Amino acid sequence: MDLEQFSQYVSWLTYILIFARTVVQAVRRPRRANIDIALLFSATTIIIALSVASRLRLLADYPFLATVSTAITILLLLALPYLLLRLVDDFSNVPSWLMRASEVALALMVVTVVVLEARPPLWLLSLMLLYMVGFLVYSAVAFWRESRRSTGVTRRRLAAVAWGSIFLCALFLLVILSISLPEYALAWRLLSDVATLASGITFFVGFAPPLFLRRAWQEPELRAFLGRAASLPRLPDTNSILRELERGTRSSVGAPHASIGLWNEESQVLHFGTEASAMDMVPNHNSIAGRAFLTQRPALTDNIEVDNPAGAQRALQYGARALLAAPITAGDRRLGVLVAYAPRAPIFADEDLELVKLLADQAAVVLESRALIDEAARVQAREEVARLKEDFLSAAAHDLKTPLTVLVAQAQFMERRVARNPDLPADPKSIQRIVQETQRLRELVLELLDASRAEQGMLVGEREEADLVALARQVCARRGTERHPCMVEAEDRVVGHYDEVRITQLIENLVENAIKYSPEGGPVVVRVWREAEGNCLSVTDQGIGIPAPDIPRLFERFHRGTNVNDRKFSGMGLGLFICRGIAEQHGGRIWATSEPGKGSTFQVVLPVDPPASIPGAGDQGRSNAAREQSEEQSTATGTNSSERVPLVLAEGGKNAASRPNPGH
Amino acid sequence: MRHRGPILVIDDEPEILQTVATILEFEGYEVERAANGREGLDCIERTHPSLVLLDMRMPVLNGWDFARILKEKGVHLPIVVMTAAQDARRWAQEVGASGYIAKPFDVDDLLTTVGSLVGA
Repeated sequence: MDLEQFSQYVSWLTYILIFARTVVQAVRRPRRANIDIALLFSATTIIIALSVASRLRLLADYPFLATVSTAITILLLLALPYLLLRLVDDFSNVPSWLMRASEVALALMVVTVVVLEARPPLWLLSLMLLYMVGFLVYSAVAFWRESRRSTGVTRRRLAAVAWGSIFLCALFLLVILSISLPEYALAWRLLSDVATLASGITFFVGFAPPLFLRRAWQEPELRAFLGRAASLPRLPDTNSILRELERGTRSSVGAPHASIGLWNEESQVLHFGTEASAMDMVPNHNSIAGRAFLTQRPALTDNIEVDNPAGAQRALQYGARALLAAPITAGDRRLGVLVAYAPRAPIFADEDLELVKLLADQAAVVLESRALIDEAARVQAREEVARLKEDFLSAAAHDLKTPLTVLVAQAQFMERRVARNPDLPADPKSIQRIVQETQRLRELVLELLDASRAEQGMLVGEREEADLVALARQVCARRGTERHPCMVEAEDRVVGHYDEVRITQLIENLVENAIKYSPEGGPVVVRVWREAEGNCLSVTDQGIGIPAPDIPRLFERFHRGTNVNDRKFSGMGLGLFICRGIAEQHGGRIWATSEPGKGSTFQVVLPVDPPASIPGAGDQGRSNAAREQSEEQSTATGTNSSERVPLVLAEGGKNAASRPNPGH
Repeated sequence: MRHRGPILVIDDEPEILQTVATILEFEGYEVERAANGREGLDCIERTHPSLVLLDMRMPVLNGWDFARILKEKGVHLPIVVMTAAQDARRWAQEVGASGYIAKPFDVDDLLTTVGSLVGA
């Protein structure tokens, strides 16, 4: 057996096998694409069979049969571009005028061939060949374009089909060459065999890939997706997770679209959301997604118009003609449904159901992990709230008990002393301690009350015209010492409508802090000026500064810098929380900048004329707009109001950060 | 009257320290003062007290560590835990104290406890 014969046998055998397979498929699932594929391979197989007969000279003794066979061969050859064009239409979109044109051209040529008894003049033959080459080039380009637009297995299938069209085109060019250059007949024939075989195989793997190849082609994307899946639950929000799962599904299945519908137990709908739009669906047995969700089994349709005529129009708007759907279920918890869909039927095969089920299971694992992470975060937030409350109570009790201890003991001691000897002179040290500790107790109690008022948004009272510069000067005069000189740098007057007592308290707190946290001494500078946003006041010290990680939480309750020794700097850690309350309830904001070791600056901006009713920082009795406003301010000061601890010991759980739970 | 050493009061709050000392001195006790556990240990070596009134939460060396070091050194001294915390009783057991005083305390209780341990 020489090379030529061998290549021929291989080519024939391949075609016969492919032909058999495509016919079986068309019979099993008689949809348009499958029938078109079977037709294409029937045509090529018949052409090959006839050419084999002619090469083996089986019909040499029957001239009529030989003529008929030549005519059939030519007709089928002419039909090839048309059949291919039908397949282009199945997978992509062929303008209808082009389909009509090819049908008319085919009919004309058939008539011509029949009339001319398969002996067309050279010019007509050339025209026919040109027609065929033209349509084949068009098919190749169309498939290639569609391939570039697709993902995963579909991209590879369509690329194979594009190659098939190119090989087929090469085959016709070789026919032209063999006519025009007959002296190289052997070479053309060999090349033709190769081109025939190549186009047969590429068409086959493209149009009707065997399962193992389909799986192999799906593997890289599936592998990449599964590799990424472990990190998905840690994405910032559930929506990003859903979009990633959909992306993974698209690339793994090779579908142009994929969408996850999450089951909402309360409203009993499947909620599909994409970047652009959202859709709620009440699951029913008519829709593919609903069927998959209700039966908890994957479902498939080639054509939504056949399977769900009522919902077809809406589905087609989303580009969903062929759909694959699988339930996303974790244990017995129905989380939702995963749908992969395409505007063209032949993209999917029955075997893809298994894949979509696998992906849906993976999605269930990812979503369930996310739910657990969210739950853990909620528990942690609750514990943090509880811990902060506990810490505060213990610290507050300790802070209150110290002066109380001195007061009780000193008072009882004085009583004892007088009882034992009424003539003893009063002990000035005891009296001094009682006065001092009473003062301390009063400050602590007032601080607690202010914090509680700040919480409820009731810190600020009557407002009247006040000059920030004058207030700052008064505070500085009271608080400044030789070790901590307090200086005011300001314009003449900076006037606004404020609660003078509270603003004084604000400045006083800031100056006091500046002094407290400058143990080595050093000047404290209060600057007051006007800006477009409002009146500004800043207090700058040259103290120990604030470590960067502490700054965002500075204005939360009970928070003190991690570089601050509890005992050295007494106080409940409520001062800055109260300052923030005063600033915010004046419609302003407060923030801090600092460099550890060099000092800190606290700055306040207050509107000149604060709106009449400014809601407080508290969570009760606030309008939505107010909450947004306050949250904006919280962001500006770097605090997170949703994580604040209620001072009054309300149930902490309601303040815990909540994330949407994909399970509900 | 048998010989007895001074009463050592350890508290980081100076006002409480002075108040307790004043009360005890008025009753005729000799009193040593320390602002934390470390100062307390130094004071024990110097003055050999007969009783320690011990605050628990203190900087430098807290009450627990103070009691532990004392035990390691083999010094056996009655200790009275003096704290504002709710856990006064449990803390007293933890450090093997002879008694506890919860702040704020009554002067009578203070004197009764001290008297029962060192003899009035």
